[in-house]
Amino acid sequence: MDFFKKSLDPIVALAIIAVFDIFLFQIVGAWTVGGGETMIAGLFVKALIGAKAMNRIPFWRMVFKPTWAYWKIYISLGMGFGALVSAILSKEFYWRVPKHLSEWVMITIGGLLMGIGIRLSFVCNVSTFLGLTPEMNLGGYLAVSGLVIGAWVGTWVYKKILEA
Amino acid sequence: MITVDGQCLAAFVFGSTVGVLVQRSRWCNTAALRDAMLFKSYRNTKALLVAMMILTVGFTAMISFGNGNPMRFDVGINQFIGLFLFGIGMVFAGACTVSSWVKTGEGNIGALWALLFLIVGLFLSSLMWSFSYWPLAGQTMTGHSNAAGLQFGWADALTLQRDTGIPAIFFGLIQTAALYGLYWRILKRERATLAAEGKVPSSVAAPMAAGSPALAKTATDARDPSAALPTLGD
Repeated sequence: MDFFKKSLDPIVALAIIAVFDIFLFQIVGAWTVGGGETMIAGLFVKALIGAKAMNRIPFWRMVFKPTWAYWKIYISLGMGFGALVSAILSKEFYWRVPKHLSEWVMITIGGLLMGIGIRLSFVCNVSTFLGLTPEMNLGGYLAVSGLVIGAWVGTWVYKKILEA
Repeated sequence: MITVDGQCLAAFVFGSTVGVLVQRSRWCNTAALRDAMLFKSYRNTKALLVAMMILTVGFTAMISFGNGNPMRFDVGINQFIGLFLFGIGMVFAGACTVSSWVKTGEGNIGALWALLFLIVGLFLSSLMWSFSYWPLAGQTMTGHSNAAGLQFGWADALTLQRDTGIPAIFFGLIQTAALYGLYWRILKRERATLAAEGKVPSSVAAPMAAGSPALAKTATDARDPSAALPTLGD
């Protein structure tokens, strides 16, 4: 179990993931996370407000009908599961809680912006860099531009906050 | 043709493998952009570029032989706006979609909180779609230009191959060469930095990005400049 005793070079990790992703591309489609998260959001809210109320919202009636039979959900759940197993085996699992109120605020705003961004674009960072762009979809180039500029603006704002 | 159960199983196996590999390597897309901009640290950026090169060759080769499942996705302004907001959000949260799930699996409550509010943001913005019906949804993308919807039709390696008669792999290799050019420039910059500091270049020269001093597990993590950022970590 030496694998769980030391860190893995991210280049090696991403290269292995990319090779597996080519097989996934052949079976169902390229790796994506935003689609699964959108469906999880639908299922989560449906469980809270009921199917009838959910059906009154056009997006969930016409675009994303909440269903468990959507393969992209299982990529997200698998990532959480794989990380949990790996963290336990490498003795790196422990509860970590942000200590400062400012961290909670930034994480909350960040989470909200990521959710709004995925909904608007129908893609996430993974499908941007590792799906659309390798497929040479022009939308991928637009998305990469938006993401890089957004990250630059976010970094600039963050730097200002840290300096303050 | 694979069944729905088979699709879900394949996705779960793939996701679990990603979870293990990302947990062991501590790769994060946020760090790939943020650390490159803030600290000129390219550990995660190089990994992202390598994956993009492998995938470009793999996907376009498969498309050339009529295989694979490329996304039928129209080009639209919404992709720029959406990912712009996403980019700001992931830097604020200190985690991307992948590292949010991986960190949650490691017991990080902040990552779980980010995922929860990602879902809240997704749901709240889905309500706005009720009023504007914009952007066009996946199934209403026709593949043709729609100026009113700020959509410009479908254009990818498959349409390039169809329209030009040249195999998609040809365009894929051009894109891979461009990505390699970027990768080579990063390597060159890293070597120049190391030479200026009088250090011997190593294969993994850049420090591991731990993100938060509270999350630093090793002395290497603690020395990482990005550890000054009070967020989720990478």
